[in-house]
Amino acid sequence: MKLQTKRRLAEIALFVITVLVAVVFFFPIFFNLMSAFKSNAEIMRDAIAFPKSLYLESFKYLLTETEFPRAILNSLILTVVAIVAQVLIIPMAGYAIERRNTRWTRLVFLYFLAGMMIPFQAYMIPLFKELRMLGLYGSLAGPIMIYVAGAVGFGCLLYTSFVKGIPQEIEEAAEIDGCSRYGIFWRIVFPLLGPVTASMVVLNGLGIWNDFLMPMLVLPSGQAKTMVVEIYRYIGEFSSRWDMIFAGTAMSVVPVLIVFIFLQKYFVKGIASGATKG
Amino acid sequence: MATSIVKADQPLLAGGKLHKKKKKWQSYALLFILPSFLLYTLFVIVPTAGSVYLSFTSWDGISSDVRYIGFANFVEIFQSPRVQNALKNTMVMTITLVVLENIAAIAMALMVDKVRWFRNLFRSIFYFPTLLSGIVMGFVWAMILNYNFGVFNQILSAIGLGDYIVDWLGNPKYAMLSIILSTVWKGAGYYMIIYLAGLQGIPQELNEAASIDGAGGWKQFRHITFPLLAGSMTVCMVLSMISALKIFDQIAVMTDGGPGFETETLTYIIYKVGFGELRQGFGTALAMVLFLIILIITVIQVKFLQKREVQL
Repeated sequence: MKLQTKRRLAEIALFVITVLVAVVFFFPIFFNLMSAFKSNAEIMRDAIAFPKSLYLESFKYLLTETEFPRAILNSLILTVVAIVAQVLIIPMAGYAIERRNTRWTRLVFLYFLAGMMIPFQAYMIPLFKELRMLGLYGSLAGPIMIYVAGAVGFGCLLYTSFVKGIPQEIEEAAEIDGCSRYGIFWRIVFPLLGPVTASMVVLNGLGIWNDFLMPMLVLPSGQAKTMVVEIYRYIGEFSSRWDMIFAGTAMSVVPVLIVFIFLQKYFVKGIASGATKG
Repeated sequence: MATSIVKADQPLLAGGKLHKKKKKWQSYALLFILPSFLLYTLFVIVPTAGSVYLSFTSWDGISSDVRYIGFANFVEIFQSPRVQNALKNTMVMTITLVVLENIAAIAMALMVDKVRWFRNLFRSIFYFPTLLSGIVMGFVWAMILNYNFGVFNQILSAIGLGDYIVDWLGNPKYAMLSIILSTVWKGAGYYMIIYLAGLQGIPQELNEAASIDGAGGWKQFRHITFPLLAGSMTVCMVLSMISALKIFDQIAVMTDGGPGFETETLTYIIYKVGFGELRQGFGTALAMVLFLIILIITVIQVKFLQKREVQL
């Protein structure tokens, strides 16, 4: 009986500590969302207090008077197209490298893996120059190709290790039935790779949506700038308009929150599988 | 043609057929790999090679005058006090971040693993900040830590700690600390997930056996849980170190490298020098140094940490 009450107390103590840590963790996000519904004067006057009324002017201003909607659309296009391109290109390479195990595919694999070690900063300056030479500076096409290229190393690593687990007999049976290599890959192997694809889509999609440095370098202004770059611009433009900044950041947090609530398990699985394979 | 019984293009010998099929397969493999190969070469390898070349020049990034200057950039890196300072900041930030993020992540993983109620909710709350962009998160923290209106200082004065109010981002003494702690807040949840997967891989019987033998919670953690987490720890240490070496967004929003040069790190100085001060030759030389540091540290770390991993 005594042991049981002791255990019970320990459980409650742990729960209380966890709640406290969770409050600290959630506070900045809660604070951001709450402040988005305050006027600038109200934010300056009492930062901690709840909004007195639902003040929606900052949202209205951002959505009608600034390039914010355009920037959201750009971020969306960039993320979706880059992810679709990654899913079309990288699994094929991973599959071919694993199934066609020869000296040259092994060399290509090592060549791809080497890229995982190269930080973006190590090649951003010549890349900037290269995009200008290719006439891709300022258009969404450049970043899309850069994102696909940057995902090749880790993507191939993930896909080769999963292809290994798919029995070759299925493919051989299809081959006997007259299926071409493309058919075998897209109709049989690719659907079996679904879980890896889901993790890659979720993790890389998030990375692209949130990326800052690259889009700022190659899409700094005009029609093509992304949402994160637009928000960054607000430091200078709205330096004393906290209501604008809170509304802008809140609008960027909410979609992520919604996607996260629905796809939670893929995020968690993606990290766990990515970590063990990497 | 359609009436001929023996098709001329189909060799009768099985060996020939197999050989042909193999050939066909090979060309498919080539086509499968080619798009990735081309994009990767064009947008990762070619610019990296370009960096190696540019690091030996005094190019400004605009003019066509790309002058070869040998190792002069690298000599300057070793002599410039500003670079030394950025290197020192990078090291301080990296070591502190790796230690704090991993301690926080292990603690959070243990909490979420052991707590009885609302496990999934807690896991989501700890994990959510990792999903936000560094720019957005940096903004929110810059506003929380603002000297005049920031909510943090308001809380301090509300609970009677008004004497501790400082300019968290503008005071050289606290700017680095502010960036480090907000980065721990943002990053720890990611490593928590990896540790949590590691924890769930530890057989429950080990802890039960130990508790029958009379080992308390701390002893169980010290002698069972901790050693068996070594695999997750290798991964988390390497990942957190690489991301700490590359930290950029938070600095861009919260301090812009300041006050003075207090929070200028290697990645930040590369950007500033290359694009702000138009010294792209020097900037790429710095980028090469960053690349080498990441390469060396990763190799050493993986070798060293794998040694102490325990296999079940």
